[in-house]
Amino acid sequence: MSVTLVYVAIAFFIAALLVYLAARRGRDALAIDEARVLMGSLDIEAFRNLVDPGEEAFLRSSLPPDQFRTIKRERAWAAFAYVRTLSDIALEFSHFGHAARLSPDPQLAELGRQIVAGAIRLRLDALKASGRLLVAATLPDLPQRCPHSLFEQYACSTGLLLSYSTLDRARKRPS
Amino acid sequence: MMRWYNVVLFYLWIAPHLLLAVIGVLLLIRRLYTSFPVFFLYTCYELAEFILLFAIRVIGNNQRTLYAHVFIVTLAISTAIRFGVIQEVFNNVFREHGQVDAIGRVSLRWTTGFLLAAAVLCAIASGPAPGGLIAGVAWIARGVAIVQCGLVLFLFLFSGLFGLSLQSYVFGIALGFGVLSSVELANAAIGAGQLTESMARALNLISTGGYHVVVLLWLGYLVAPERKLLQPIDVPVDELDRWNRELERFLP
Repeated sequence: MSVTLVYVAIAFFIAALLVYLAARRGRDALAIDEARVLMGSLDIEAFRNLVDPGEEAFLRSSLPPDQFRTIKRERAWAAFAYVRTLSDIALEFSHFGHAARLSPDPQLAELGRQIVAGAIRLRLDALKASGRLLVAATLPDLPQRCPHSLFEQYACSTGLLLSYSTLDRARKRPS
Repeated sequence: MMRWYNVVLFYLWIAPHLLLAVIGVLLLIRRLYTSFPVFFLYTCYELAEFILLFAIRVIGNNQRTLYAHVFIVTLAISTAIRFGVIQEVFNNVFREHGQVDAIGRVSLRWTTGFLLAAAVLCAIASGPAPGGLIAGVAWIARGVAIVQCGLVLFLFLFSGLFGLSLQSYVFGIALGFGVLSSVELANAAIGAGQLTESMARALNLISTGGYHVVVLLWLGYLVAPERKLLQPIDVPVDELDRWNRELERFLP
């Protein structure tokens, strides 16, 4: 009987979790302010510096091994925080793109589709970079690769968003 | 007390199927059967199953053995179709996103394997199958419900991970199947367990009521005008200017 009740409790927990997830998805409205604040908090140059293999080689050659490992771990965790912010930005871009796809203007809708595709690639790259940084923080002696594609994809996504908002602004401007 | 219970149970058996008929008609009228053929098949099948079982129960002088055998066969087919509906929902969500589609398919395979292993482990941990045909079937159905619950949860979590929007109908179908699978899990656990009669009755009422809720949910999503979960954006010009300035910072 107790096993049965455990299963029933699990079943109701799953049902409640699904309803919660569905309600949260329903509220996943576009938050431009949130995206802008996230972007404002991102110092892309500092992030680039943290994952630069040249910087790492310099630190490795000029620091004692123990100190290098400590610094490498700290740098990896700091870079990880940046990647998480980028990942959150990608999610906001995706929401933005999905909403933009519904635009009655075909050009804006097409840009929205491209923004979604770019945001998904950005999110994927961020996930991969997170994994690599976790490895770097755990095993600091291993050489680190720079997540070039992450930076390229971010520039590409922001470029698409800029195109969208420039076009949208031009359409809204009174002639 | 028993009379009241029987009336409620009878209502919870008949009403959802009548509503399913309405869902089937709506799918036909709105030509949604072309986008969701397996869900349409599931609706029709559930109706046919209900009519058959109801006929055996009412007309067939309560032939318990015949009813049990028909119930088991129809349940097996229904379970297979439900897997088909879940696959259909996955296809609808991921087909537009090539890269995620590939990752989604691989992850789905792994998740299914993991859930199957979890279902087998749960079955082993809870001891041998109980005696009796219906209890034995419920024992298997419990494992199937674990897999289906997990798949729908995976769908919600995975699509959320990439910020994929779900079309209104897909969202309703997926949510309904998730809740239905969890109701089935509770139902199968009750069927496989050794509960007191009063407790089994109380829990049975909750699980059959759950099915009614799911059908109402599907109907709600079909009757409500098709809307996307995200609305078209209309950003004020000032906001666009601030947004542009922020974006320009990141361009090489």
